[in-house]
Amino acid sequence: MRWLGVVLGFAAAGCDLAYPEVVVTNQTAETIQLRQLSFNGCYWEGVLAFGESTSPGRCLPGEDRVHFQKFDAAAYCQEQAEDGTIDGLCPCNGGTADPEILEGLTNAEPMWFNYQTVASEVVDYGEFHLFEITLTGLEQDFSAPSPYGH
Amino acid sequence: MKTVAACFLATLLIPLVARAQDDIDEAASDGGEAPLAAAAPQAPEGSDDGMPEVDAGATGDASAAPIEIVVVGKPSISRDRAQDATLVEGQRLRDSPRASTFEALSQESADVYVPGRGAMHGVASGGTGGIRIRGLGGSPNSQVLVVEDGVPDYQGIFGHPIPDAYVPFLIDDVLIVKGGDSSLYGTNAMGGVVVIRSRWRDEDGYELSSDSAYGSYATVRETVSGLGRAGPWDLAAGFHTMSTDGHRDGADGDQMVGVTAARYRFAPNLGLTIRNKVVHLEGADPGPAMHPNPDHWYDVWRDTASLQLGWTRERLRLTMTPYLNVGVHELYDGFHSKDYVGGGIADVELRPSSTTELLLGTAWQHVGGEVNNRITGERSSVSGMTDVSAYGQLSVRPVRQVSLVLGARELLSSRYGAVFLYKGGARWSFYRGFAVHTRVTRNFRQPTIRELYLPYPTANPDLRPEQALNWDVGVGHASEHLEVSCSGYRTEADDLIRYFGVWPSAEVVNIDHILIWGVEGRVGLKELGPASLFVTGNWQDVGRYTRQNPDAKLNFTLELGQELGSDFIGGSVSGEWVHGLFMGDYSRQPIEDVFVMDLTLRYRHQSFERRVSLEPYVLLRNLLDRRYAYVEDYPMPGFNVLAGLRIGIQHVPPSLPP
Repeated sequence: MRWLGVVLGFAAAGCDLAYPEVVVTNQTAETIQLRQLSFNGCYWEGVLAFGESTSPGRCLPGEDRVHFQKFDAAAYCQEQAEDGTIDGLCPCNGGTADPEILEGLTNAEPMWFNYQTVASEVVDYGEFHLFEITLTGLEQDFSAPSPYGH
Repeated sequence: MKTVAACFLATLLIPLVARAQDDIDEAASDGGEAPLAAAAPQAPEGSDDGMPEVDAGATGDASAAPIEIVVVGKPSISRDRAQDATLVEGQRLRDSPRASTFEALSQESADVYVPGRGAMHGVASGGTGGIRIRGLGGSPNSQVLVVEDGVPDYQGIFGHPIPDAYVPFLIDDVLIVKGGDSSLYGTNAMGGVVVIRSRWRDEDGYELSSDSAYGSYATVRETVSGLGRAGPWDLAAGFHTMSTDGHRDGADGDQMVGVTAARYRFAPNLGLTIRNKVVHLEGADPGPAMHPNPDHWYDVWRDTASLQLGWTRERLRLTMTPYLNVGVHELYDGFHSKDYVGGGIADVELRPSSTTELLLGTAWQHVGGEVNNRITGERSSVSGMTDVSAYGQLSVRPVRQVSLVLGARELLSSRYGAVFLYKGGARWSFYRGFAVHTRVTRNFRQPTIRELYLPYPTANPDLRPEQALNWDVGVGHASEHLEVSCSGYRTEADDLIRYFGVWPSAEVVNIDHILIWGVEGRVGLKELGPASLFVTGNWQDVGRYTRQNPDAKLNFTLELGQELGSDFIGGSVSGEWVHGLFMGDYSRQPIEDVFVMDLTLRYRHQSFERRVSLEPYVLLRNLLDRRYAYVEDYPMPGFNVLAGLRIGIQHVPPSLPP
């Protein structure tokens, strides 16, 4: 039965433990937050503020881009101030809201847009990778699937 | 005197054995086994369900002691001699390195295609495991019917079987009927039928087995099963659980399947069987690797219960099977459904002469359920469907080498009115294990409740039922060490139901006439010393609708095994190659060919004195660490390992010989 123990040990140490480890860091801008980050089967929950990093995730070996949703707080603030949806905040338009904006046609909900890194990265067994998201290295991601399921 | 007894026994047995062998030769050509009718001239006292012959246990003086003929065997799982079918023994499924029972079946026959995405297939969006047989089936349409112990098994609202609900621990054998058979099985038997039969113990005593395994991705699998027979009672029970973290985020899941069955024989020719199967599945759609969505979870409970009353007379067998299949499905987005499929089947097999068999039956079925969203409170309006049908099948052997089969079913649907289905086929065993066969079947599938009413992603209450005319012709040879078969097939289908587009502009419609044709073959070299080799291939032209319907598929299995006294050491190398896979119709979005190999190693030690067997094994999956996917951007696991130990215990009453 000794060899059985060896086999079970081998199985327990399965190759998934050798999957590449990946960490993603938000190095875009102070006003930009990222969420729903993913890379080749890995998925990180939570919101990543500027300078923050994900926990190391064991991803599938292979090639992919980092996919995520981006929220630009500065741009949001500018739009809301222009639309007059937030009183007294961000007087970006001379401190007064545009009277032409009709109530109901503005959207105060923060919008998160799909983005991905421009460059693809290759990861393989046993490797550790740190991917930095920068403003110059991202583009809009139109490969995201439609929201519908079943 | 022993010589005299032996001669007397031989006189009794030789005709029976010879006749049974003829039938085995014939049945082997279609992958089947000895048909009941020919192998069981009569159902003697003590036999069960008119089982076939033959074993003899007689000692002493033949002139003084009565000769006792003990009948050992089982009825054929195949009911149509002319059909093209593949029979798979349950043990092959239990030994398979493939992740699920459906994938293990796919390994045995190249015209069966089952995609996967990991340890579990899942349900709803991102689910895999839809079976395609000769170009029909798959997901979301369900044109392949699973019949488990005589009961059609599919989800009431979505109309498909749940691929993770089948585990092989109690499976005796599985018959894959190619080309469908709606005459015998009714709706959904369009492209094929997967007939599953469960095990019973053949003699008094009990046997217990445990299969424990642990491996990559923190996968833990445990199966405990038991079979028992005591007097008029037969019992079978099993419990299977599997839990895994999965090879990527969201690919984790838990699977639980419990089966209990009991059979009481009021008389040797009258038995009542009660059977229940409960399934619980938890998992998620991991989503494409580029855009994972591991929080898209599902939670499924299903329960199937049936009764079966069987009565056998000399030339008659009557079977009645009421059943109920219920399920509760919950999804991450608030979807909540309760569905049911209930009905009954009653048929009688008559054997008016030694060359004629007649099967007459009636079936009734109702599918229904309710759907609501627990988050939004929306409730979908759905209507159930009922159908009743009468069917018959006549099998005639005008000469011993030729079988002719004619069948028909008149189905009356509460929604679609009367539907007439028919089939006709022939088999000619022309020379020592060689046979040719051909068959034409008219098949049918009624739309599912989902397709008619539910906005997932869209519905169309004006859908018409699908109809198909399948034809196949084949030739085969089967002998002790060699089996070779080749079949050509052609399917003409009308009104197939297809989804087009994506939400919110999706539509589901009947499409026009389509034509599928192909060629399938199999070569088996069996027990050539310690080795056996099986190769099966399929090539098909599915026309415009190429989505997840591959052009070609090849499977091979090389087995090596050696008995060493009470020990056995063996293993197998198996592989699958899939070519011409597309994610879209019209040959759009091609994806790379699939090629994957698995290695199995096992050692078994059997203690005949203690009636205990120990069998450690290891499954090395994706041996070459290939990066492949059946579904675009749903990569399959890399090289991974599952190691386990089987323990078997048998107990036989002291009155029986060991």
